[in-house]
Amino acid sequence: MTTGIDLQASFVQILEQFGLPHGVAKLVWLPLPMVLIVAAVTVLALVSTWLERKVSAAAQQRIGPEFMGPQGMLVPAADVLKLLTKEDIVPAKTDPWLFTIAPILVFVPVFLSFLIVPFGQNLVITDLGIGIFLWVALSSIAPIGLLMAGYASNNKYSLLGGLRAAAQSISYEIPLALSVLAIVMMSNSLSTIDIVDQQSGYGILGWNMWRQPVGFIIFWIAALAECERMPFDLPEAEEELVAGYQTEYAAVKFMLFYAGSYANLVLSALLFAVLYMGGWESPIPVSWLAGLLNVSETTPWFQVVSASLGIVITLFKAYLLLFLAVLLRWTVPRVRIDQLLDLGWKFLLPIALVNLLLTAGLKLVFPGAFGG
Amino acid sequence: MMKFLKQVIDYTKEAGQAAKYIGQGLSVTFDHMSRRPVTVQYPYEKLIPSERFRGRIHFEFDKCISCEVCVRVCPINLPVVDWEFDRETKKKKLNHYSIDFGVCIFCGNCVEYCPTNCLSMTEEYELSTYDRHELNYDNVALGRLPYKVTQDPMVTPIRELGYLPKGVVSGHDLPAGSRGAGKLPEEILAQMESDAPKEEAKAAE
Amino acid sequence: MNLAEGVQIVSLGVLAFLMLATSLGVVLLDNIVYSAFLLGGVFISISGLYILLNAGFVAAAQILIYVGAVNVLILFGIMLVNKRQDFTPVRNAWLGKAATAIVCFGLFALLSTMVLATAWPISSGPIAGDAALVEIGKHFFSDYLLPFELASVLLLMALIGAIVLARREFLPEEMVDSTDEVLTLPERRRELTSTPRQ
Repeated sequence: MTTGIDLQASFVQILEQFGLPHGVAKLVWLPLPMVLIVAAVTVLALVSTWLERKVSAAAQQRIGPEFMGPQGMLVPAADVLKLLTKEDIVPAKTDPWLFTIAPILVFVPVFLSFLIVPFGQNLVITDLGIGIFLWVALSSIAPIGLLMAGYASNNKYSLLGGLRAAAQSISYEIPLALSVLAIVMMSNSLSTIDIVDQQSGYGILGWNMWRQPVGFIIFWIAALAECERMPFDLPEAEEELVAGYQTEYAAVKFMLFYAGSYANLVLSALLFAVLYMGGWESPIPVSWLAGLLNVSETTPWFQVVSASLGIVITLFKAYLLLFLAVLLRWTVPRVRIDQLLDLGWKFLLPIALVNLLLTAGLKLVFPGAFGG
Repeated sequence: MMKFLKQVIDYTKEAGQAAKYIGQGLSVTFDHMSRRPVTVQYPYEKLIPSERFRGRIHFEFDKCISCEVCVRVCPINLPVVDWEFDRETKKKKLNHYSIDFGVCIFCGNCVEYCPTNCLSMTEEYELSTYDRHELNYDNVALGRLPYKVTQDPMVTPIRELGYLPKGVVSGHDLPAGSRGAGKLPEEILAQMESDAPKEEAKAAE
Repeated sequence: MNLAEGVQIVSLGVLAFLMLATSLGVVLLDNIVYSAFLLGGVFISISGLYILLNAGFVAAAQILIYVGAVNVLILFGIMLVNKRQDFTPVRNAWLGKAATAIVCFGLFALLSTMVLATAWPISSGPIAGDAALVEIGKHFFSDYLLPFELASVLLLMALIGAIVLARREFLPEEMVDSTDEVLTLPERRRELTSTPRQ
């Protein structure tokens, strides 16, 4: 197992050479990846809004944004500018405190969850022992924010949307967690790094999607429902609920909801790539490539190349899934609330449980293939 | 036990069917992505209006005999005909004529009934203004002819669906010399004339 | 005292203050919705304390179960129940409040003396940290097996009970009938709806 490049160690080492004590050097390092990730996530979410527009347009034989920047790439920036400069309206007879806190409660857990998304062996903010469990736990805070938004808006559409969103969120969290649990069982660790390591070595054949085909589908359906994406976007079903819990929101608070939902989608896609599609592992094993090029895996330039390749591959996988999500949006009609809950509780939950049991059994029988 | 097993099997089959249909739908959506956008990028590209397009009305002042038929056939009596009786020539003399296109529904009744054909439809449809009173066209404004889309150097003219070759749905990137499905009226006429002797010969037999 | 310790002490203070403030808010506020939301704040601050104690898994589980499930259910309960009841002021209401306060302070005094009097056996073993997960699992399947299984059986019973309630198969007959009558419109006979053409 190659350790790859360790940016933190080398950065701290460089600072220590300038005569800084070890603790201070580490302290200087600490905010860097956080700021980088927050900025990167914002950019990724903005890119996904652009992608959503372009892919939607293509699926409907339209052109989509075209004149703002090359291929309309500046549209998200224009959106942000517009929402930042708009008047921040708090409607009369709302609950101003809850109304303000709600978008923050929805937005912050999503960004916190990026703590555990790995882009490479050492390219992660923290390799927490509880890893993927942190994401499951943090994503359960969002329903509170949604309920709060629905209640504080003092609007029946908002309240209905908030209740729907919360119901949807807590019902799909269970199949989601169960399918994650099957993966965790196979890799014997909650850490996202270990989960990817367990899939490495055989290129595309080693990925969990072949060992967990059922979990693969369940996770994607549940993730779409968690993100309130199109077949499951009934909390903001515009034909019936105006915009659900977002009805009364404007300007920056609306932007928080909007950015939160897209960041959540990116997060789900990234974690999906990590859990089922080998994270930063390329379809052809890097060590095999190194052997082909006749370079040692510890060569500095090769490590830099493979690390950047890892980032690119992770993002590519995530955006492939995002593309699939947008395509699904224009393919599948919206389900009703009872159909949604039926699907969650009567279909996905039993199947996820059976999948978990099956994984446990297979793990006992074939410890080699299913992580003994 | 067997009943339960059958239920499970049926359920699985249904789930498989659902997955199959979603897959089919996805393939349709995916197929649409590789098609050329049908968007007509309006200020730069414009559709060529059809021959019977009912756009802004054109009015020829000199032909008008102030009969007010247009006013009577108009659903809302919209045209304003301001005339006075000229005692010397014993004819009506038209002073002003105006139609408010903010109110007009472009039904074309006035054009249909005008005895002297002084009213006609143009292919102009860009009637947006900042003030709705600017849409009240007087006889001078009504007498102007619109600029043809096909002659505007700023505009790429795009043919409408009815004028495209058979099986083509987008007016973009048509091969040179391609023409609409079916025959032109003069071609049909020529065909009929060339067929006429044969028909007569058949009748004679 | 180095930087890490300073950060820990400051965060302990902040978390303790937050926890006390929010829990007092839960008890003292008149608006029940505020109380419910503040309860979420209490749970989150408790999970912050767990993180300070190097128990990441317990902290995440605290958030998942208490914030994500319990608190959301409470909120659901509050928001779906649409019952308005006017309060009639009771005479000598302060008596009840005073009694509650006395009981609360008594409990508080009792618990604090217990906390201070007990000689807590502090484990001298190494801090488990991330390996706590494995330790918890081992305890669940060795010395804490019985409580663990009992809790599972309890949850299973609750699950089955919920399913029985949701399926409505075992509800008394007349109740089902009465709801049917209320919900369906009596169908009009055909000859009444169609107009005779003569």
